[in-house]
Order: sequence, then structure tokens, then C-alpha cells
Amino acid sequence: MKATNEPCPQSTSPAVHEDHNRRAEEFLRDLNSLFAEAVRTGESHAFLQRTLDASVRAVRGRRGFLALVHFESGELEVCSTSGEGWSRLGRKMQLHLAQETSRGITGHVALTTRPYVTGNVDRDPYYLRYFDDVKSEIAMPVLAATGQTRGVINIDSERPDAFDADDMAHLAAIAQAASIALGIEGFRTREAALIEIGKTLSSTLEISSLMKKVVDMAAEAIRFEDCSVFLIDEQSNYLKLMATRGALADKVGKTAYPVGEGVTGSVAKYGEPVRIDDPRSDPRWLGKFNELSDDDIGAFLAVPIMSRDKILGVLRVVRRKANAPWFSNRFTDTDERVMLTIASQLGAAVENARSHMRLVRAERMAAWGELSARSAHMIGNRTFALKGDLNELNYLIAELPENEQRKEIAAIAASMGRGVERLEEILREFRDFVVATQLATAEADINAMLRSVAEESFPKRSNVRLAMDLGDGIPPVICDEKKLKRALSELIENAVSFQPEGGEVRISSRLLTPEERATERLAHGRNYVRIEVADSGPGVADELKEKIFQPFFTSRVKGMGLGLSIVKGIVEAHQGVLRETGRLGEGARFVIFLPLEP
Amino acid sequence: MSRLLVVDDEDEVRDALKRRLDREGYNVTTASSAAEAMEVMQTQSPSFDVVVTDMSMEETNSGLAVLQDAIAHDIFTEVIVLTAYGNVANAVESMRRGAFDYLEKNVPGVDVFELLALKVGQAMERRRSAVSTVRRLEDYAARQAK
Repeated sequence: MKATNEPCPQSTSPAVHEDHNRRAEEFLRDLNSLFAEAVRTGESHAFLQRTLDASVRAVRGRRGFLALVHFESGELEVCSTSGEGWSRLGRKMQLHLAQETSRGITGHVALTTRPYVTGNVDRDPYYLRYFDDVKSEIAMPVLAATGQTRGVINIDSERPDAFDADDMAHLAAIAQAASIALGIEGFRTREAALIEIGKTLSSTLEISSLMKKVVDMAAEAIRFEDCSVFLIDEQSNYLKLMATRGALADKVGKTAYPVGEGVTGSVAKYGEPVRIDDPRSDPRWLGKFNELSDDDIGAFLAVPIMSRDKILGVLRVVRRKANAPWFSNRFTDTDERVMLTIASQLGAAVENARSHMRLVRAERMAAWGELSARSAHMIGNRTFALKGDLNELNYLIAELPENEQRKEIAAIAASMGRGVERLEEILREFRDFVVATQLATAEADINAMLRSVAEESFPKRSNVRLAMDLGDGIPPVICDEKKLKRALSELIENAVSFQPEGGEVRISSRLLTPEERATERLAHGRNYVRIEVADSGPGVADELKEKIFQPFFTSRVKGMGLGLSIVKGIVEAHQGVLRETGRLGEGARFVIFLPLEP
Repeated sequence: MSRLLVVDDEDEVRDALKRRLDREGYNVTTASSAAEAMEVMQTQSPSFDVVVTDMSMEETNSGLAVLQDAIAHDIFTEVIVLTAYGNVANAVESMRRGAFDYLEKNVPGVDVFELLALKVGQAMERRRSAVSTVRRLEDYAARQAK
């Protein structure tokens, strides 16, 4: 017992020293298990509780809480407490914290991202009193990898000047463990969501339900206020809203605007992601079709949905403006990468679904073509026989004495003749449709072809005016001239028939510039002639722009409704593109992009 | 009387064609396939002046076989081929092989039976003139030989 009798050579007593060592050991043990747990745990709530308990022990505090920044509002929310007196004060604290911006110590730390210590709360400019016995307080931020505040650990003590530099260092180490755990949790959530999206995309072939699922699942992978998917409609070259979560829901399938227009339109045109904090500062911003009002949008991110060789659409997300000053609602590089990942999976899925659809359609067309060729042949033969009977009937009628009865019979025969003629018109339309894709190509002069078609198809006497604007320098085009003439005359006859009260038909042609080729999203490495047949008739409603090209769609009494589908078939057999780009009320505008070689 | 063979695999079509051409005063025989047509042509003497045949029967180009047989049997027999609309390739091929003409069966607003009667008349005319030319040439050659 000699040692105890000797005067202490150091300022600290052995008891204090022992206590210090014991605490250091305890701290290292705590820290060790926290880090081990941080990379393993999926239970973030329990982990954060243990983090806080370890923090309170490490700095010998009386009580403490851990608050996290809320994902959407940016407000601090208490998620764990340690020590006494919380049941009574927890809720009150929550309310206070929500209002605490830079006023309270927690808010101050969240804002500055620096730790804060006070040894005398009564003289502290930031301290807000919740407990009567508090003398000292220490607060440590938990930071994300981006340097932004994810949360704050706050511990108090009834002792004055309770916390020193060691406490600060210990708490910083524990906060680091919490930061790692939260980061890993974020990665896990994103990974799981991306895998889930991948699974869904590869198992869904119906495009619109696929879109809806993606938008729902993207919410797990990336934080946003709203998310929308636009796909480019091949027919009109317009962006069409396919799925969304919030305010635009009633516009799904309807909303459309041209590729190149606005920020979203420019993503669709150039295939580059756009990330902006204040959309209104962007010159391309039009503010049409948004999920939030311009004033509410805090951040905007749009990425292209690509297939192997072209842009299919745009996936975009928006965030609301944050109301907490330490909270940034900007989209980060990681957000952009996550979105690009989702978009590329989506692109592959859309392409997959489309090629499946094309395959089904091709098979159906082949079966249908076979069936219709056979039936057209049989019907044609019977009709031919019928014509023979009719010919005989007319011969016999001519032999009858001229009287009322003969007139009646002749009228019936004439009506039958018209019926047969009508039947043969239908047969012709039918066969044109079936053979639309069988080309016999040769070099042709497009302008000469247009002039001759206009000459042949335009009615000699009509109150519809014909205007031709044929461009210079169009090289010869390899095409099936006969079929193309058939297609063009259909368009011209259509234009005339929709303007019974008179009007105008404008036919124009020119070589397409490379810039226009990009805007129209036509295949690269090809030159195109642009042929337009426009009129001043009623035009085509947006919702019909696709339907008018489908077989058997017709708004007229005449014909089977195969006309425009034949035109489309002929143009597409030439590897060309046919679109209707007019506006309702201003007239129809059919545009053919014809490659110089099919 | 001019001899005419009508070949078509459809009864109604065959009947209608026969009736119309009978009215023109021709002696019309019918056959319902390319094979039957060949048989009839081989037993017929003197040979048919004009053959009117459908293109698509047992085969999609049976008409070409009828054409070939007819000409093989008698170089001066004139053949008119009836085709379905859109089957221009076969029609062109039959012209290349020496058919007199071809007619599309289903042209809206055109009375093909009247047109056919007209064409058959022209074909008869051509055959007559070809035959008489040959006869004159033969007579000439015979006189030279004496």
C-alpha cells in the first residue's frame, strides 16, 4: 500500500487516470463494433440508436438525440434519443427543430456542417432551452459523401464546461461511422431498386404498363417530387407523355410536343442529359407541361432514353425547392448516373417490346397477305363471272321491246353494274395494299414524277387550287416509280376530296439538309428528299395522327380505308418515313422523307 | 366457222365466257385446266384459231403452259391470256412468249367481256391474214417449183 501514501507526482490522480483508460477502451470497443455494424446492417434505426448511445457514453453526456435531415422537406427530424426526460419533451422538440433553422445549435451545425461546443449554455447565442438542468452542449454533424449534412448528433450535460477536444474527436469518429452506415444504406436501396427495375423491364412487353412501373420504382432509387417518361412517337416525331406520378397524370397519352422544343425536347433532340437548378434561368425553358409550377421547381434533371442507335424518349425528374437552408435539393452526379442507368434499361426494354411488336405484326401481315391474296383472287374470279352475266343480261334487255318494264329491268341491271364496279374498286384497293411492299426499283426524277402525278390525279375542273414548289438539285432517286405515283396520287386525291368547298393543295419537294435529318431523327448516312402534300382542309386531330395510317380507318364513305395504309406501306418499303404534321383547323400536311436509295 | 377454246378452272367464268363468245358466232370448246386444254388441243383438227385462257389455275402461271402447248401445236393459233389485277409480271411474260394480248379481269368500270369479244375478233383477223400469207407463199413456192 506504499503507493497510496506517496504524494501524486502528476496533476491527475491514478483513479482519474484509470477512469480515462477505461473510457478509452470502452470507446474503442464501441467504435470498433459500430464500424463493423455500419457495413453490415440493414436495420438503420437500431444502428442509429446504438450510435447515439455510444456517443453519449463517449463524451459522458447526460442525454442526447440524433436528428436526420428529412429527404423531401430538408427539415431535421429526431430519430433517436438517449437519456432521461425524452418521453415528455420528444414531441415538443420535434416541433421546435422543424422551426430551428440557424437559430438553435442543431440548426446551426446543420447549416455550417461544423461541430459546435458550448460550456455555458446560458451565455450561448444559439442555445434554445428544452431542459432546465443543461449547462453544456456538444453537437456534431453527420455528413454525406457529398459534404452535405445528413444529420446532427446533439449531447448535453448538467456540468459546466463538460466537453473538451477529446470529446469532440471521439464524437467525430462516431459520426463518421453513422455517415458510412447511412451512405451504405442509400446504396443498398438504390441497388435493390435498380435490380427490381431491371427485372420488371425484362419481363414486361407492354410498353405503357412498363413505363408506369418504372416511374413507380424509380422513386425507390432516386429522390424526387415527380417523375415522368416521354417517348418519341415515330409517326409524328412528337414527344408523348407515357407515364407520370403527380400533376400531369390526366395528360398521359395525350400531351405531346415537338422534338427540339423546350428543355425536354432538346434532350430528345441531342441525346444529352440536362441538369438544372433553376429552370427559369435556362434559355430553352418553356415551362410547358410541368409537374410543378416554375416557382416550386428546385431542381430539374432529364436524361435521354436511348436504343442502340437512336433516341427513343426522355426520362425526367423534378424536385421541389427546399425550405431548410442547409438542405440542397440539387440533383447530384450520382442522381444523374442512377437516372442514366434506369433510362438505358428502359431504352433496351422499349426496343425489346417494339421489336417483339414488329415481329408479331410482320407475322400477322404475312398471314394476312396470304389470306387476302387468295380471297381477292377468288372474289375477283366470281366478280368476273358476274360481269359476264351482266353483259348477257344487258344484251337480252336490248332485245326487249321498249316499254316501262324494260326501263325498270335496265335500271336494275345498271345498279348491279355499279355494284360490280364498286366491288372491283375494293378489290383493287385490297391488292394494292397487299403488293405495296413489293418494289421494282429504277432511277427516277422525283420532280418529273410529281408533275406527272399532279397532271394525272388533279381534277381538270375543280375549285381547288394547285400550287407546286419543286426544289432544285434533287439527284435521281432509286425507287418504284409506279408505286410511288400510286402513293402520291392517293395523297392528292385525298387532299382534294377533303375540300369540297374549294381550297388549295400545295405540293413541294426539296433535298433535306443534314441538320433537318437530325431533327427529323432519320437514319444517318443517308440523303433524303422531302416531299410534302399539304391542303387547306380541316386537318387531322392529334389523337388521329397515328390512326389514319392504320388499315380500315376511314372518315369517308368511299373506299375501304386502306388508302393511307397503302401510302405508308409504299413509303416504308422504300425505307422512307411518312408523317402527318399539320394542325387541326389549318389543313393536313403529309410529309414523305424518301431516301435517295431504298 | 372459227374455232375457239376457252380455258378456265371456274365453272361460272367458263360458262360466262362461252356464252358471250357463242353470241359472236364462234364455235366454242371449253376446258377446265391446262392439262385438259392440252388433251383437247391434241385431238382437235383442224386446230383452234384462238385460245382464251386464264393465267392462274392449277399453278399461278398455268396460262403460260396453255400458251406454249397451243403454239407448239399450231404456230398460228392466237392466245389471249386473262390475268388477275396486279399480276402484271406474268402478263408481260406471256406477251414475250408470243401471246396475242392479255386482259385484266377486274378493271373497275370496264366491261371486259365486250373488250374480250373485240380482242378475239382482232386475233381471228390476224390469224386469218397470217394463214393466208403463208398459203400465198406456199402457192408461190409451188408455182415456182413447177
